[in-house]
Amino acid sequence: MSEDTAQLRIRPLQDTDLGDITGLDEKIDGKYRPEVWEMRLGYYMRRDPEASLVAEIDGRVVGFMLGEIRSGEFGLEQPTGWIEVMGVDPEMRGQAVGRRLAEAMLAYFRGRGATSVHTLVDRDMDGIAQFFIALGFEPAGLTPFVKELA
Amino acid sequence: MATVKTHIPKKFHDAVVKWRQTFLPDYDFLLDNWERYFPKDQRFETCAFRETGICDEIECGDRKGEPKFTRARDLDSEQAAHLLGAIRAQASTEFGSIQQHRLTLARAQDEKDQAWILRMMAEELRHGYQMLHLLLDDDWSSVTDVKSADMVEEILSMTTGSHVLGAFNIEFDSFVDNATFCAIIDRVGKYQLEMQRVSAYKPFAASMPPMLREEAFHLAAGIVPMRRWMEQAAQGSVYITTEDIQKALNKWLPRGLEMFGDERGGGTNVRYGLKPMKNAEAQGLYYDEVLKLVRDLNMRYLRARLPELKLKEAEQILDQIVDQRETVRGITFEELVHAPHKHFFRRRGVPSFEMTGWDGESFDDADSYLAHLSKQLPDAYRASSDFQDYAEKLRKVAGGEVTAADAAREMPTLRRVGGACPCSKSVRWVADNGASGNGGAS
Repeated sequence: MSEDTAQLRIRPLQDTDLGDITGLDEKIDGKYRPEVWEMRLGYYMRRDPEASLVAEIDGRVVGFMLGEIRSGEFGLEQPTGWIEVMGVDPEMRGQAVGRRLAEAMLAYFRGRGATSVHTLVDRDMDGIAQFFIALGFEPAGLTPFVKELA
Repeated sequence: MATVKTHIPKKFHDAVVKWRQTFLPDYDFLLDNWERYFPKDQRFETCAFRETGICDEIECGDRKGEPKFTRARDLDSEQAAHLLGAIRAQASTEFGSIQQHRLTLARAQDEKDQAWILRMMAEELRHGYQMLHLLLDDDWSSVTDVKSADMVEEILSMTTGSHVLGAFNIEFDSFVDNATFCAIIDRVGKYQLEMQRVSAYKPFAASMPPMLREEAFHLAAGIVPMRRWMEQAAQGSVYITTEDIQKALNKWLPRGLEMFGDERGGGTNVRYGLKPMKNAEAQGLYYDEVLKLVRDLNMRYLRARLPELKLKEAEQILDQIVDQRETVRGITFEELVHAPHKHFFRRRGVPSFEMTGWDGESFDDADSYLAHLSKQLPDAYRASSDFQDYAEKLRKVAGGEVTAADAAREMPTLRRVGGACPCSKSVRWVADNGASGNGGAS
């Protein structure tokens, strides 16, 4: 564990993380999208803010993972954890920030009675797929379908 | 960990429903439009939740490691009195904030902002209901002669001006207050709930996690509109200016700081295992969080004014403007928003009636200080009885007629609550612990 990772603190998402998460997204994607994150964080904060997490070092947010428990969707009647959005500061990649976030989120889901955790990964993002496989995820029986409307 | 849902006995539940019909008349509108504004979210319900599987052992204080108390009568009498005061004060604030928000809810310019605040109000009602559940679910006769039913009646009969904490007696002037109150005053609530989460009284501790989850959204209901207003102000909107937001911060932040109680106090609650932090420590963390919030608002403004900037450059420019007070690319220190000095406009705690200016400067006479305050506070608030009460007290303190400590104690909210009303234990909660002379939440 590097010194940076040793100082890593995982905690629930807060409203004051909005600016930091917007900044992380900009670092990752190069786009400044404050409205998108206001809407997204508003959604997670009104549903279960403790499920969504940020990783910080010395008060600086270096990663985040947004998710929640839902049931009754896609035939999954049992409480099911969903990992939906994540981001790690490019400067902190390879330092287990994502893994620490995922482990904390899985522990939370388990504690709240979830029996499984789902996520969706873009086929073109092999690194993300490998990340989840390393955490013990396996391909699910659900197949995503899409139809373009535009 | 799981959450158990419960209700208070029917006659009290019905009393809450009656209260809701009076002070939250838009409740039915909220439920009728729930799917529109909050699709897929669990529908609101007037009930109490308790978390199961929480820590069984006392987590701080003299009896750390011993089993948590499950009955009030098992607590030491003074410990129980502190606890009961905290529950009553918490109940008062939950119901009190609804009475404040309703005054200006209809004035919102944005329908979604309004819906968020309305949901927040309903959830505050539920938080109040949680506290009533605590009062009704245990036997408090070892602590007070007042019956639980009377305590509930007394809480439900409070109106703006008679609530336990000062911030809940100040009327709102516009929808800017609704959002700023959520961002600044509800943030204090988050700290209180977070600290009460470790309470040595297990039913109280178990009530906190569900409330905290909802409280997080309440903060967002404040900060998200404020961020958007900053952006719109940067783009030249005439509706809500940065000056309006600054003045709202000046109005509410001093009250928020005071809600932590006298800076010298809080030790008793720690010793009793009711809270893990003393007042000054919690207040310091809170102020730092507000500074972060303010920086975030300014960043939103700056990026809207100078959309060509990249993140790093924007951060550097913001540092220059805020820390060095330089004008950069036409943006001045004054057009951004800032947290006032911690001692600004204080009437409780260590700096009460100290006459410290917005920027930390000192004033020698009351008239100059009041003139300074009049420039820093919202126009409508300056015309309020709350400000008048403060100004009259300040003149007396400056003239040597009363001490600052006495003036703090004589502020109207404390006098009314601490008189003959059965809420006198709550005043113990708002008075400092051990450090005499000032009021304020502990």
